[in-house]
Amino acid sequence: MKFIYQDLLNFLAKKPSKDLLSEKLFQLGHEHEIDGDIFDMELTPNRGDCLSLNGIARDLNVFFGKTEAFKVYEGDIDQLNLNFKNLSPEACPKIHFLEIEIEGNVNAYKPYLENYFSSLNNNKTNFFTDVSNYISYELGQPTHCFEADSINKQLIFENRNCNESFKSLLGADINLTGNNCIFSVNNKIISLAGVMGGQSTACSANTKKALVECAFFKPESIIGKSVAYNLTSDAAHKFERGVDIQAQEIVLRRFIEIVKDHAVIKNIKIQSFEDDQVQKNSIPIDVKRINKILGTNIEENEYLTYLSKLYFGVENEIIVPSHRHDISTQNDLAEEIARITGYNNIESKPLKIKKNDRGIDKVDTLKNYLIKNGFSEVINFPFIKTEEEKSISIDNPLDSNRNHLRTSLKDSLLDNLLYNERRQKDSIKFFEVSDLYSKDDEIRQEKKLGIIMSGRRGQNYLDFSKKLDDAYLSELLNKDSESIVFKIEEISRAGLKSKKKDKIFYTEISVDQIPEKIFNDEESSFKPINFIKYQSVSEFPTSTRDFSFSITDFNKYEAVIDHLSKLNDKYLKDAYIFDFYENKKFNEIKVGVRFIFQSSSATLSEDDVHKSVNKLLKPIVDLEGVSVPGMQ
Amino acid sequence: MSNIDNIEPPLIKDEVGSLHPINQVKDFLLNMLADLGFQEVDGPEIESEEFNFDMLNIKKSHPARQMHDTFYVENKSHVLRTHTSPVQIRSMLKSHPPLAFTSAGKVYRKDDDATHLPMFHQVEGIYVDTDVTFANLKDLIHQILHNLFGKDVKIRFRPSYFPFTEPSAEVDILSENGKWLEILGCGIVNPIVLKNCNIDTEKYSGLAFGLGVERIAMLKYGVSDIREFYKSNLDFLGQFK
Repeated sequence: MKFIYQDLLNFLAKKPSKDLLSEKLFQLGHEHEIDGDIFDMELTPNRGDCLSLNGIARDLNVFFGKTEAFKVYEGDIDQLNLNFKNLSPEACPKIHFLEIEIEGNVNAYKPYLENYFSSLNNNKTNFFTDVSNYISYELGQPTHCFEADSINKQLIFENRNCNESFKSLLGADINLTGNNCIFSVNNKIISLAGVMGGQSTACSANTKKALVECAFFKPESIIGKSVAYNLTSDAAHKFERGVDIQAQEIVLRRFIEIVKDHAVIKNIKIQSFEDDQVQKNSIPIDVKRINKILGTNIEENEYLTYLSKLYFGVENEIIVPSHRHDISTQNDLAEEIARITGYNNIESKPLKIKKNDRGIDKVDTLKNYLIKNGFSEVINFPFIKTEEEKSISIDNPLDSNRNHLRTSLKDSLLDNLLYNERRQKDSIKFFEVSDLYSKDDEIRQEKKLGIIMSGRRGQNYLDFSKKLDDAYLSELLNKDSESIVFKIEEISRAGLKSKKKDKIFYTEISVDQIPEKIFNDEESSFKPINFIKYQSVSEFPTSTRDFSFSITDFNKYEAVIDHLSKLNDKYLKDAYIFDFYENKKFNEIKVGVRFIFQSSSATLSEDDVHKSVNKLLKPIVDLEGVSVPGMQ
Repeated sequence: MSNIDNIEPPLIKDEVGSLHPINQVKDFLLNMLADLGFQEVDGPEIESEEFNFDMLNIKKSHPARQMHDTFYVENKSHVLRTHTSPVQIRSMLKSHPPLAFTSAGKVYRKDDDATHLPMFHQVEGIYVDTDVTFANLKDLIHQILHNLFGKDVKIRFRPSYFPFTEPSAEVDILSENGKWLEILGCGIVNPIVLKNCNIDTEKYSGLAFGLGVERIAMLKYGVSDIREFYKSNLDFLGQFK
């Protein structure tokens, strides 16, 4: 909800600055952003009563005083004899109708009305609808204007099971299904109640006589309809959060006053339909309880003053005002007192609970072991397309590709592996631990560990030319077990969109099947967290260059290794020694080094890489007794 | 001149992997809360509406229960839990106050855009004892945020609305650029929830709080796009060793 700063000031006795107003709105729990003179409010769903200037001003009364800024028509109004039947009073216990007829056309709006449209970028529709929209902004009560002459038979309100089409006043055909609150004439739907009116009975620029409907629809009878039919409706937003059941007559009198401001009124008639008397909601006065909830020492008179200023009645009990649907308990009242006092002004009081030791379990131990051996943990979404016999189906999936829950970690981990292969990774080791769900007679839950790997065993010169294989994985995982606990399979590359030839190995096991005492010798504590400053991952390709250094002056060997450990270049992403060979026959040491270059902002050109290579190699090749064969 | 036989081969560096950053942050939070006295409890991700909503005072008409907000499964017989609070409900039903539980794990909401994911992680805590007050809650939240962001962090409590707490608050911290950042939600446990768990509300009261793990991870690591956590990109994961 947006409002204009000056409009709100009209409702306040004191005129706070924007900063002070903002501070108090936050104190009261009304989050917002400010753009110039416009306050864009993000109100919590329990505060439907604040979706208007009048509502916000009511909440601010304790700080700035609220004025009765709006004039209402105070004259007599004739009785309307509308042919109306309410078949669902449980959904709409109270409804008023105003028939209002004017002379001539309205060509210009008064500044307050004009400003509402221009400053908030609202579109004008026609005079009566524009007044209706403005009233909703001012007082929070939606009204709907019918072209009066189009309601030529009995008007019926009901919550009925529908399977029919209805053309909204915006011209969209909406296929209503299931139970909907509707207005109908001659059994034809003319309005989706509380959400949007229909085209057939909508007012136009030529309307001289309007029938204004002003109702209290119960939130549960309206909720979800605007989303279900993809309708943007301010009225539905307000009815879903609850409007004031006592406000209808005053709202219609305000409607008349605004019309009177703009046109000569020929006729006004009003009629109300009420199911039964509105029950008073009251709560015992119990300031001790309030202090017990908050941990404060608020005096009773202070407590009662605060509540009075929030429009609560103070009699033998606290009487909840009709616009506050969110208040029914002592805890609710405690929150009211805390809001006025200011959450930040309530003093903290120490809470002492006995320290609890969070032990490390076998899954944590196993994770530590895998990480130590070069495996990285991944977390995947559980949604899949494939329907398996035991997979759980999602009734309302995000899309048809995500309409079941996975029963294995394998496909997710395979996707992770292929994704990284496409990003030029040649040694990939992943694991995931997750609860998986399946069904037979009932829904079953099982925590599983999946491990996948492919490519080089490592980037060091001992492992660079070796491939990850089932023997490596079995040795890693089954070394402490008397029998094979982790069963390893090779995943075929047939059908995979991949040009890689490296074999893929996979194992998956239920955590329950992992022996409790596994990897007992491994580190069994949580590693302290290191909150590194993350560097954005480049989306540009890497360029790899391999160089082989021939060292014949062994006094220079240490200098070469030292230099390689301190390489620095803006494009150098990684560098490692992938080959080391002592050629005793020729009295020569060979050191193979791989440089990987990548830019964060562009694909590197040959020239970029060449310059970086020269800069990195120069200090080494300048050494006497060190050369890079084939390099000038 | 050195002899070739005296040459030491280059040192081989450990090629270690990494725990997922979300689980690192989750563990950090759970360990910190254990130090503050909370015991970790676990529960299912597929829940009944009763435990995910009804027991937590989330009424049938609440927007969160609509099909556009919550994933329903198996002909609407269950939901993917929208928070870890049902774990606390299950635990409270099995124990007696005083109690202090944390629940952590994956939760699901029907959302998928640049800033929202259909699956994310929460860490929630609940403490029930005699005379637990909002002033106690503030003290606990200060301890948590001081552990996370340092003793000098500026903290703001704002009234908010959650059906399972009353009073409810959202808590912000002041960022380096002078803007308030929302960090967590908390409140005094609504007595309706305690009654649902057969706890005597004349004798006991409680406090509760919940943190979004991704939110904390993004702030602490400086990750600006939440989706990065779930691409399983080695260049990303490798930074969190």
